[in-house]
Amino acid sequence: MTIKSLLKIKTVAWMGLGALLAGAPAWAHHSFAAEFDDKQPIKLQGKVTKVEFINPHSWIYVDAKGANGAVTNWAIEGGSPNALYRHGFTRDSLPLGTEIIVTGFRAKDGSNRGVGKDLTFTDGKRLFMGGSAPGAEGESEK
Amino acid sequence: MPAAKAASGTSASAWKAPRTADGQPDLQGLWTNATSIPMERPTELGAKEFYTPEEFARISAAGYHGDRNPLPEAHYDMSQFGIDPLQNKFAPNLRTSLIIGPEGRIPAMLPAAVQRNVARVAALKGHEWDRAENRNLAERCIMWAQEGPPMLGATYNNNLEIVQSAGQVAIFTELIHDARIIPLSGPLDGRPHPAKSVHLLRGDSRGHWEGETLVVDVTNFTSRTAFRGSSEDLHLIERFTRTSPQTVLYEFTVEDPSTWARPWTAQIVMGPADGEIYEYACHEGNRALANSLSAARAEDAAKTAAKH
Repeated sequence: MTIKSLLKIKTVAWMGLGALLAGAPAWAHHSFAAEFDDKQPIKLQGKVTKVEFINPHSWIYVDAKGANGAVTNWAIEGGSPNALYRHGFTRDSLPLGTEIIVTGFRAKDGSNRGVGKDLTFTDGKRLFMGGSAPGAEGESEK
Repeated sequence: MPAAKAASGTSASAWKAPRTADGQPDLQGLWTNATSIPMERPTELGAKEFYTPEEFARISAAGYHGDRNPLPEAHYDMSQFGIDPLQNKFAPNLRTSLIIGPEGRIPAMLPAAVQRNVARVAALKGHEWDRAENRNLAERCIMWAQEGPPMLGATYNNNLEIVQSAGQVAIFTELIHDARIIPLSGPLDGRPHPAKSVHLLRGDSRGHWEGETLVVDVTNFTSRTAFRGSSEDLHLIERFTRTSPQTVLYEFTVEDPSTWARPWTAQIVMGPADGEIYEYACHEGNRALANSLSAARAEDAAKTAAKH
């Protein structure tokens, strides 16, 4: 078995928009449990107002309409910009005004802030289905 | 070259690394040390050090088999979040564990070392979130534990660049933005390690060439970066060998008589990284630290309110 074929086996086959929301596992930059409350799941729908492509975590801002009709701006923590960029996601991939649905968990201090667990467009699509990630075919040669 | 041989580091291949302008074996380039292999061998594998390519393909198809550490309360799907290690590109390696040898596991920690580590945790207990200084170095954007030395994959952004000059080797790690300078012994440098009283977060590295291999001796660690429970007496011996155009074999031996009765050794095969090293200005938007502390204050307030 050649190096190249092994690399192929190991490279990403697909990358969903979930990659954008690399929220938290213990490998992440910080403790999920310290910052977010797993007993306060959130589900938001609204238009993107700002995307911060910053280290160590990106942040997406959404104007979400509550049950009473009031619009609140929520800040949602996403993945590392470097990792997102390598998977083909840039600051322009989520244009302002895009309607999205976010599920996740709210900040423990009760502010309008959360970590994203899943993010989809209103038609249920994710941003990149299919192997569009750079290097997905292991073609990078040294 | 068969992957098994590349991974074992025992290949007597005729291939020789290219040379730098001053004649050193050339390790330079962009490399990834991402791996799906756990540090310690699953006990059920016994003394089995390598998978066959067929076994490896089957296991890979079945999913990640490394040090899985999911967050059950949040029901994360690692692959959905792009941080399943199998989503990374990494160099072929058929090892069943990064630790080499028949045991494939870290030796039992000495009783005094267990006590030392327990005491360290106990000293912080109940005060973990009192202030930023009580948080770990990664959360404070000071250094990422896996960047080492010893250098381990960081799960994402596992990229590094090696640059050589006649008297020094520099290793720039993407996560978390550090450039490690390794002076080489020889006419251009050759300084010894500093006095034992000097303690550095990343230790003090001194390198020399043994044939095709760059050997780096690292001492002068601090207790703030204890590697797997190590002490300030940690002594690392790292070995970098270019084993093919596409691979650098990285090996490290851990010696710490204050922690383990015998040394232990691990290997990672580094492969070509995608693209360049991107800036990782960790503090740029490190809101997590402030958010975590504000969460702790909210919990404090809730406890206080409950008492009254």
